[in-house]
Amino acid sequence: MNTNEKFDIPIEIKSALLKYIVIIISIVFIIQLFYLQILNNEYFNTKSTQNSIKGIPIQPIRGAFLDRNLNVLVENINTFTVKIIPAYFDTSKAKYVEDALNLERGTILRYLRTTQSYSPYIPIRIKKDAPFKNIAWIEENKEFFKGLTYSVELQRHYPEVSGSHMFGYLKEISKKQLEEKKHIYSMGDLIGYCGIEKTYEDYIRGEKGYQYIVVDSKQREIGRYNDGKNDKKPQKGFDLVLGIDKDVQKVAEEKFKGLRGAIVAIEPQTGEIIAFVSSPEYDLSRFSAFTDKAYWDSLLNDPNVPLFNRATMSINPPGSTFKILAAIAALEEGLIDENTTISCPGSFVYGNRSFKCHGAHGNVNVIHAIEHSCNVFFYKLIFKIGLDKWAEYSRKFGFGSKTNVDITEEVKGLVPDSKYYDKRYGKNGWTQGFIVSLGIGQGELSVTPIQLALYTALIANNGVSYQPHIVKGYLKPGTKEIIPFKFPKIETHISQRTFDIVKQGMFLVVNGSGTATSIRMPDIPIAGKTGTAQNPHGKDHAYFIGYAPADNPKLAIACFVENAGFGATWAAPIVKEVVHAYFNKNKIKQTSKDSTNTPKRKQ
Amino acid sequence: MKIKTSLNYRFDFNIFIPYLILVIFSLLAIYSSTINQTGPVAYNFYKQFVFAIISIVVLYYTYKQSEGFFESISFPLYLFSLFLLVVVLIVGKTINNSKSWLSFGFINFQPSELAKIATILYLSKFLSSKTISLDNIKDLFISILIGIVPVILILLENDTGTSFVFIVFIVFILFMKGFNPLLLIIIASPFLIIFASMFGIIPVILFLIIILVALILLKPNIIISTYIFLFNVISSFFFNYIFNILSAHQKKRVEVFLNPEADPKGAGYNIIQVKVAIGSGGLFGKGFMNGNQTQLRFVPEQWTDFIYSVIGEEWGFIGASVVVLCFALILVKISKLFLTAHSEFSRLVSVGIFGFLFFHFFVNIGMCVGLFPVIGIPLPFVSYGGSALLFNSIALGIILSFYKHRVSI
Repeated sequence: MNTNEKFDIPIEIKSALLKYIVIIISIVFIIQLFYLQILNNEYFNTKSTQNSIKGIPIQPIRGAFLDRNLNVLVENINTFTVKIIPAYFDTSKAKYVEDALNLERGTILRYLRTTQSYSPYIPIRIKKDAPFKNIAWIEENKEFFKGLTYSVELQRHYPEVSGSHMFGYLKEISKKQLEEKKHIYSMGDLIGYCGIEKTYEDYIRGEKGYQYIVVDSKQREIGRYNDGKNDKKPQKGFDLVLGIDKDVQKVAEEKFKGLRGAIVAIEPQTGEIIAFVSSPEYDLSRFSAFTDKAYWDSLLNDPNVPLFNRATMSINPPGSTFKILAAIAALEEGLIDENTTISCPGSFVYGNRSFKCHGAHGNVNVIHAIEHSCNVFFYKLIFKIGLDKWAEYSRKFGFGSKTNVDITEEVKGLVPDSKYYDKRYGKNGWTQGFIVSLGIGQGELSVTPIQLALYTALIANNGVSYQPHIVKGYLKPGTKEIIPFKFPKIETHISQRTFDIVKQGMFLVVNGSGTATSIRMPDIPIAGKTGTAQNPHGKDHAYFIGYAPADNPKLAIACFVENAGFGATWAAPIVKEVVHAYFNKNKIKQTSKDSTNTPKRKQ
Repeated sequence: MKIKTSLNYRFDFNIFIPYLILVIFSLLAIYSSTINQTGPVAYNFYKQFVFAIISIVVLYYTYKQSEGFFESISFPLYLFSLFLLVVVLIVGKTINNSKSWLSFGFINFQPSELAKIATILYLSKFLSSKTISLDNIKDLFISILIGIVPVILILLENDTGTSFVFIVFIVFILFMKGFNPLLLIIIASPFLIIFASMFGIIPVILFLIIILVALILLKPNIIISTYIFLFNVISSFFFNYIFNILSAHQKKRVEVFLNPEADPKGAGYNIIQVKVAIGSGGLFGKGFMNGNQTQLRFVPEQWTDFIYSVIGEEWGFIGASVVVLCFALILVKISKLFLTAHSEFSRLVSVGIFGFLFFHFFVNIGMCVGLFPVIGIPLPFVSYGGSALLFNSIALGIILSFYKHRVSI
């Protein structure tokens, strides 16, 4: 071994060096295997399971909406959705499919392009709500059109009433919502977007089921996982029971056809909403199908803004319906009693302005001032009350803040007080003249119809009611037992005597010689107050608030008709019809059903 | 201890038994990963089974041969293998981007497998002749030429992995012959440390320690030692410097190489799925035919370079460790032969065989367990491939034959 002379490494060392390298590397490998297979086994196991076992979600049946007598208002129906599995579909045949399904040419390719990033084995929807003849055609031509398939999906259906603004609709879940509720929803799921569909989402959603299948690396289904033993059945959502009476609601909707406005009818003792209409309505059933772009555009461009919920979001001065409030404030503060008279010469001059009344009422007390809706009486009264006192009483009845009705789209309106004017016009920038018109419900005061309904309910039930709500409770699954939701009580702490006096006036409005004698019904005495609110942008808004029967109110209603004219002419007759519908029906059922349908609440 | 008449004295079961275990694991893994496939792949098990029987028989006949036989055939075999490597460039069949296959209908054959054995035998024969010295420039040049000709031909086939294998066993043989390892370290270590620095500071420190140990062992003069060590330290900063001047697109490629999770659907896919398959095996594995990564084909072409993941998934830590131990035992037993070999020729051949088996083992399993970047070379005796199994078995047969004729020390 003369060659090793210069770098004389003995062969033993070379041999040992190579041997130990092998041993060290083997030990490193075994340590790494231990790290992967023993220490991180759980992590890789989960990954491997996720790889090959796919949970196919089965959508739960969404809870139905029932009216107070358990009639179905909103339910689910099955519709067919046509789908394509891109991996199997021959795009050169797309035009035949488009023709057969009445789709525009090029639709299929467009969908395929937009979903290119997904696995080609995941079916994509190409037509929702397909008629049965499409499905029959698919079945017949299955062999020729590989990858063309369909599935049954649930869709909302509205058999009785429109109720668009209170029911609301569903939309595909947004990215932001998905972030927050990852554990419940997945992409493409529908979620309540407005109305009670949104508010009660957690109750009506139900729970998704899962069918577990085994897929290979290309997402092809190989078979059921564990013979379906791990599958989870979907759980149906709770059925909601609403305070709505479908017949009353139907009449209210009919009477509002062609008009803009809103009506809210409340059961004063419970706060349950019996009818709720914002007009014009929109067709919810077209929202639950394929996003109908043409319809959506037509709604957005409609000058009557049908998507706008007037019952909870339109704010306007309430006109003479607000005179009751001024009367209550004055009576409760002891500024007047039922005998105090104020003279009405036909107009009221303040500074250099003259405020008109509709006729000279002479010396009137508060009862007749309400009956005849005398403006001068209330012009003068509000000076006695003072702005801030008046605002304080307004707030007691819930004005200036949200009623917290169980749909989230709501605004709070405005009750002006001296703080507000100071802020708006500066400390000395306004005079007492600003408050004159507030006495008759005009000026900067603005209220929503739902606030007026609560106000009416509080008057009707002598200062005690509950937060207005559309939904009473939900049905215990499989039974007819209603599990009620709890709503806060509202109390005004105003004396019975005050209510007695103003209610006399309201009774005479309809049943005396007041402003709404035209809606008098002999068997069901209505008490109420008309209102006609001036509006700088067009015709007056018509208002009527009222309750019936006058002696023992079961129904309190606020009705608002946009740009219609006199309250007595436009709003009051609608209220009459709604009252009529309610009592006509309940006359028969009153004795048998009324006691069971009213949830037991401590008052 | 040494009873001359015992069978174990003449036939090294410590090599043969691990070999058999590896072949059995191989057949089980090929069966599991291909039997339910459609197309020609479904016959892989039967083909490999036939080759395994043939290989064992051929191994036995190789074992029976004398050292002189191997010496005498080395030159013609070398020439023949070069001829085949040229033929394959002209009429070869391209599989997985490499034009390295000769097709005989049902059977594909890789001439580089034959060339591996032939090059080891001929290079060893050349170097073991008494008149040869690596200090002689002409001799050094000829020995490098013997090694480099097949490497160039294989590179032309676009089979980089295999040409790496050749370089490694050529270096091992030269090292054993007495080629100045210092020269090797001077040439190779800066590249290796740049490579190590890609994986962070700890590999760099480990590598510097190895260099230090090597320098102490080799005892060159202090100035040269200092120069080599400093040059390595400087080189270790080279990667970060280069990386920072790369374009975003180039950076991305390097990042995927270092961290496959950065591109799970693309370049990183295979190695992620391989790691998931092995990691999910647990202690005892999911059982034969029960690995869902394997059965559902999450690892592409799993019966070839990634076959270790089938064993890791279905036979668990136990099975995967047994494979490592089998290789370790075979390699350690071969390294014993460096001392006991009957002649310089058999010593050098043993080192060459050790070199390529070691490199395959180190790179393939290192890649599967995520310690080494993806380099497409198969696991000897285990990966699917009839000609590879045959020639690897011949290599072990040669080792066993040398064992029979060893000298006792």
